[in-house]
Amino acid sequence: MILLALDSSTPSSVAAVLRADGRVVEARDDPPPGSRGEHAARLLALAEDAMAGAETAWDDLDRIAVGAGPGGFTGLRIGIATARALAQARGLPLVPVGSLDALAAGADAAGDEVVAAVIDARRGEVFAAAFARGEPLLEPAALAPDDLASRLAALDRPVRAVGDGAVRFRQELARAGISVPADDSSVHRIGADALCRLGAARAPAERDALLPDYRREPDAKPPQR
Amino acid sequence: MTILALETSCDDTCAAVVTRAGEIRSNVVSSQGVHDRFGGVVPEIASRHHLELVNAVVDDALATAGTDLGGVEAVAVTQGPGLVGALLVGVATAKALAAARRLPLVPVDHLQGHVAANFLAPEPMEPPFVCLIASGGHTLLGRVRDHHGYEVIGRTLDDAAGEAFDKGARLLGLGYPGGPALSRLAAGGDPEAFAFPTGARVAGLDFSFAGLKTALLYTVRDLGEEETARRAADLAASYEHAIVEALMARVERALAAEPSP
Ligand SMILES: [Zn+2]
Repeated sequence: MILLALDSSTPSSVAAVLRADGRVVEARDDPPPGSRGEHAARLLALAEDAMAGAETAWDDLDRIAVGAGPGGFTGLRIGIATARALAQARGLPLVPVGSLDALAAGADAAGDEVVAAVIDARRGEVFAAAFARGEPLLEPAALAPDDLASRLAALDRPVRAVGDGAVRFRQELARAGISVPADDSSVHRIGADALCRLGAARAPAERDALLPDYRREPDAKPPQR
Repeated sequence: MTILALETSCDDTCAAVVTRAGEIRSNVVSSQGVHDRFGGVVPEIASRHHLELVNAVVDDALATAGTDLGGVEAVAVTQGPGLVGALLVGVATAKALAAARRLPLVPVDHLQGHVAANFLAPEPMEPPFVCLIASGGHTLLGRVRDHHGYEVIGRTLDDAAGEAFDKGARLLGLGYPGGPALSRLAAGGDPEAFAFPTGARVAGLDFSFAGLKTALLYTVRDLGEEETARRAADLAASYEHAIVEALMARVERALAAEPSP
């Protein structure tokens, strides 16, 4: 299977091509911590870079996979709009990949170690889920860091937390005995291998039903009169 | 030359197929209609709906035009100004369609799009002309000399004309978006019943609707609730008349200043 995978659920823009020979070619942009993503300017260009690096043409692709969140709303929409339009233009099946699943899959859990995938959701919250041996122990949710820490502590097992949210709220998690790898470790980023692996394994979705997993209601208060 | 065009700058998700000769082969507008209860367009909700609708709207535009992406030679998209999150959905979609079909992508300025609509069949207009853009978000006068741009010769100093309609409607208790309701109500009223300011004595080509809105507010207050309700049609008609007068006065001034072709 030849697959193009995109993810823009975090400030990073990630594009990856899984070639027929199993090799994964990645093109990515990781803005410095605290800065916003440049998905609108970068994502499609990175997809074209990854395709060129993998010597893959649009006609070669069998499917398109895309990170469906949870994550930043604007980034998710750019990634999903891009993926949906590429699929529309080439008549390709489209596969959603959970961002937290992809993050956890990249952490290479050992044995029955619990991995918590934690994405910074801004406004003092995180999007988080926890897995052991690929099975969910904590369903994706938007949580306050302290709330997440106590839920993970309640599992009463060793937990390793990864993602930009784990880095940002390292202190809150550490207080609950949760280990967080060094800030510059690549496990904190959604990686090409995990995206491609999950994108190849999951079932395609209806194009128009592939929407971001927002996990949070829009801010839509009626204006004050 | 067949062009597929996308527009998602506010709360309508739109796609059209147009020929280089200016023939509109399809024009699909999907109105979201979910913002009314919020009293204004909520950007996050608009963005969510654009993403839900955009590909289906493109499919619809292509099918109605009797073509598919294979028959398209360029992809155009509204680049802005507009709601940023909403624009991004259309731009990301257009960019990806163009890239995957190896088609040129044409980013279009929102207001230039309004100007260029005049070049289309069945009644194409050739420059030079003066163009009045009056919408919910914009009110300006442009001098159009060719197909590639326009010179702004007048703009609003406060509200857009469409905003003035909506704000007037709110003062008359017509809800949101009240512009169309105000217009319907005005049809049964006397446009001369109330003398609202048209700013006609303000020199130049710029617009201002803030004084008009304030005048309506004071009139409604002076009349009281019962009398306002009784004379709602007259108020609406007079208010609408003042907006149109203000627009017409600037257009006439601009035309008078224009060298005859
Ligand atoms: Zn407009």
